[in-house]
Amino acid sequence: MSLQIPADLLAQIRAHGKAAYPEEGAGFLLGRANGEQRVLVSILPAENRREDSARHKRYLLGPQQLCQAEETAQRLGLDLIGVFHSHPNHPAQPSAFDRDWALPWFSYVITRVDQGQAIASRSWRLAEDRQDFVEESIVEVNEAISEKANN
Amino acid sequence: MPTLKIPTPLRPFAGGSAQLDLQARNVGGALDELLAAHPELKPHLFTESGELRAFVNLFVNDENVRDLKGKDTPLNPEDTLMILPSIAGGAPLQQVDHAALRTNQAFIIGLSLAAYITDSPWWAGIVGLAMFIGTMLRAPVFGFVYRRWLKPSGLVKPEVLTDNPEPHRFAQGFGAVVELAGFGLLLAGAATAGWALVWLVIFLAALNLFVGFCAGCAVYYWLNRFGVPGFAKAPPPGTLPGLKPKAS
Repeated sequence: MSLQIPADLLAQIRAHGKAAYPEEGAGFLLGRANGEQRVLVSILPAENRREDSARHKRYLLGPQQLCQAEETAQRLGLDLIGVFHSHPNHPAQPSAFDRDWALPWFSYVITRVDQGQAIASRSWRLAEDRQDFVEESIVEVNEAISEKANN
Repeated sequence: MPTLKIPTPLRPFAGGSAQLDLQARNVGGALDELLAAHPELKPHLFTESGELRAFVNLFVNDENVRDLKGKDTPLNPEDTLMILPSIAGGAPLQQVDHAALRTNQAFIIGLSLAAYITDSPWWAGIVGLAMFIGTMLRAPVFGFVYRRWLKPSGLVKPEVLTDNPEPHRFAQGFGAVVELAGFGLLLAGAATAGWALVWLVIFLAALNLFVGFCAGCAVYYWLNRFGVPGFAKAPPPGTLPGLKPKAS
């Protein structure tokens, strides 16, 4: 399992996590899925709809936001392949709360942000029995490869 | 004929379909029809006890069925039923056993009082050094008494709360510095000032033990609010700086 991410999009995901710090930032991943291999083509940063007091360790993207992301993906001829979010001052690993609320099939890119600095990004998919997450490798690629995927 | 729309992440469990034409005439019937056609969807829509998962929202046209009649919401031939999950997650919540903290506070108070009553500056020094070592080991230094004897015997019941351990470590470290400063003053012959600092530690530990206010934690959270590097944690949701979080 792998997720190809163009370097500029990975930088945007990390910048979004840094900008949201000390709260959690989140958004949608648009791209193409081909079996176990996925290619990220675009991201849709989204507003964290969680109440103020919980945004430092929780994010929420509501049903309307998902609906809009689906429509955007369809308009661009892409798939909605997952979600990205940040973990302020915590490892880029899914929590039990992440697992309880996770959707199957989606790629979950988590970025650790310590003291306002993006430290690491890792990607995960929920196992089909919902008991755990399985890590998928992030393959950072240059823009030329992502454009090839776009065509 | 009503239509059911399936979101992208659930489509692999529905044979790749984005939508399903329904025979059902209400939302509950539509879910039964969906699961009969695609039983692999069930664990992702329902909990083991058969409840709809918290993140699953069902909309008839633009209205959430929770605001209508739930599963009894009727479906007309022109209606579209949409499964629209909320997407949520976040960093792991940390937990702190406040019974271990209270045991630690009780020992700090008792041993510091014993040092004062017996006029033994070295006892105050030992207590301060122990608190310092505990801070370095990232644990309440007398917490082992709770873990090894008080908790197994049932004398002290655990009180595990969603909380940040860092402010409590900072509070213990702050107490260690004050107690050691008191010890230093006592050795230098400044008995009044030295014992005043030891009593300050006793007072702050008692404030925490009996009133539930952690002054060191409050200082930590204020430093966090001012953006001081190294003080990364904000108070748990709904908790004022220094006060004990509510049980959840």
